Amino acid sequence: MSFEIPIGPQHPALKEPISLRMTVEGEVITGVDIRLGYNHRGVEKVAEEKNWIQNLYLTERICGICSHSHSTCYAQGVEKLMEITPPRRGLYIRYLVSELERVHSHLLWLGVAGHEAGFDSFFMYVWRDREIVMDLLEMISGNRVHYAINTIGGVRRDLDAAQVAKALEGLITLKKRSEYYLRIGATEPSFVARIAGVGFLSLEKAIALCAVGPTARASGWPRDVRKEDPYAVYDEVDFEVATADTCDVLGRVVVRVKELLESYKICEQILRNLPAGDIAVKAPRKAKPGEVVSRYEAPRGENIHYIKSNGTDKPERLKVRAPTLGNYPATVEMLRKGFIADIPLIFAAIDPCICCAERSVTLVSAASGEESVVRMSDLRRQAIARHRNAPVKRNAVWPL
Amino acid sequence: MTDAELIETLKAALGDKVEEISNPARRRLFLKVAPRNLVAVTARLRDQYGVVFLSTISGIDTGETFEILYHFSTPETDFNLRTEIPKAHPHVDSITSVIPGAILYEREIQEMFGLTVDNIPDGRRLLLSDDWPDGQYPLRKDWKHVRPQEVIPGGKS
Repeated sequence: MSFEIPIGPQHPALKEPISLRMTVEGEVITGVDIRLGYNHRGVEKVAEEKNWIQNLYLTERICGICSHSHSTCYAQGVEKLMEITPPRRGLYIRYLVSELERVHSHLLWLGVAGHEAGFDSFFMYVWRDREIVMDLLEMISGNRVHYAINTIGGVRRDLDAAQVAKALEGLITLKKRSEYYLRIGATEPSFVARIAGVGFLSLEKAIALCAVGPTARASGWPRDVRKEDPYAVYDEVDFEVATADTCDVLGRVVVRVKELLESYKICEQILRNLPAGDIAVKAPRKAKPGEVVSRYEAPRGENIHYIKSNGTDKPERLKVRAPTLGNYPATVEMLRKGFIADIPLIFAAIDPCICCAERSVTLVSAASGEESVVRMSDLRRQAIARHRNAPVKRNAVWPL
Repeated sequence: MTDAELIETLKAALGDKVEEISNPARRRLFLKVAPRNLVAVTARLRDQYGVVFLSTISGIDTGETFEILYHFSTPETDFNLRTEIPKAHPHVDSITSVIPGAILYEREIQEMFGLTVDNIPDGRRLLLSDDWPDGQYPLRKDWKHVRPQEVIPGGKS
């Protein structure tokens, strides 16, 4: 006898809204259906009504974790359309932030994987170390999440010698810790027993279903946009594409930790060979009619933007494909013939990113528990008043 | 194989099935095909050139027609197959028989542009909500979003 159980759009096991409808027989999943759109914000439609520079900030808000991926992918496409070349120092800083973002995203995922597998001390260790890279990103860009460091034609903030030294120092610690996590992730018996063989995706299926990123690489498909279509600085740095051939969640853990180690290598090379000069060139307001396909290796896989311009200051069409959408058909395949208890683990293993956006916010008073619904403008007024009274923030220091 | 050499072999192999091949930048090939040749060309590219990876499908509303772009890539180069279908008769063949991973992208363009993908194995709605009115296709150029008035529950609006 088969049952259908809905998981999501709101469910304790999933942190973001998506609906998975599982047909189960006993404990075994026999069919999976996926329904999206609970968080569809119409970004592609909005982009057609905003100008080139406004869209940079719009694309940054597609995702909260890989915000820099979307804005970089967009910026490098628009720079091609406008026929401008950013200065090399600007590019180095831009892709340094890219790699640091990959580090923070992979560390975040590694913690989530530990948590979903019931290994919460691993989760806490990893997330403690993630603060090192978050502090570095805050030091470089001024923000922890939406860095807003990109501009069309370069970057907005420069690095000084003290910041470079501090970043290099942070990387040493991160590297040491990540080597330890590679050992734990790949050999700790109870953790390995939980994740090995779970969420199997064969190489043939990964290719047929067009899987991307670490999901594809963990099935032994060594595809990485940074290697095959080296954009900007990636043909000047030395790194390897990490792969695994176990085709399961264990493989995805190993691939991501190895990628962390490669990212540290890239960051170090960028920081040591930082060229002197300007960080940005002035971009024109309009772009010539034309079209461009911009590809970028985001932490979760290939990110692709198709941009078409019609000669005005607004794009004719901006098509965005984030890596998670590319991995859904593969996820359906992984879940099939699995167990109910493995759903969160398998689903988390593609590092899904279904972002959130709200227009009205419910405030709950911490003291009385009273709820009040406020308008966005009131919330903004309250936030400004609060920041005005807040003490000046020091640069965070991590005692190591 | 460089892009120029690849274009020569493609021209020889695909003959009149491909109307136009352009190469505006390194690693970017744009091939124009007629809608009726789409599946045949995709199958040919997969079997002869190892084009197995579809990044996404973009649709563009050009006024009288819909332009549909299939972004493929291989480790050597990127193929962008372009086909154009009239708005009056918006039908295009599904390529899922050749590339099974295309299914979500085909479902997406189908509901966003209001075109029909023939022979699609699963043509249900993917992104738009269940109570979305029929005949409303958000990514068409003549579709405008009207923001509904904000109503605050229990408060003065």
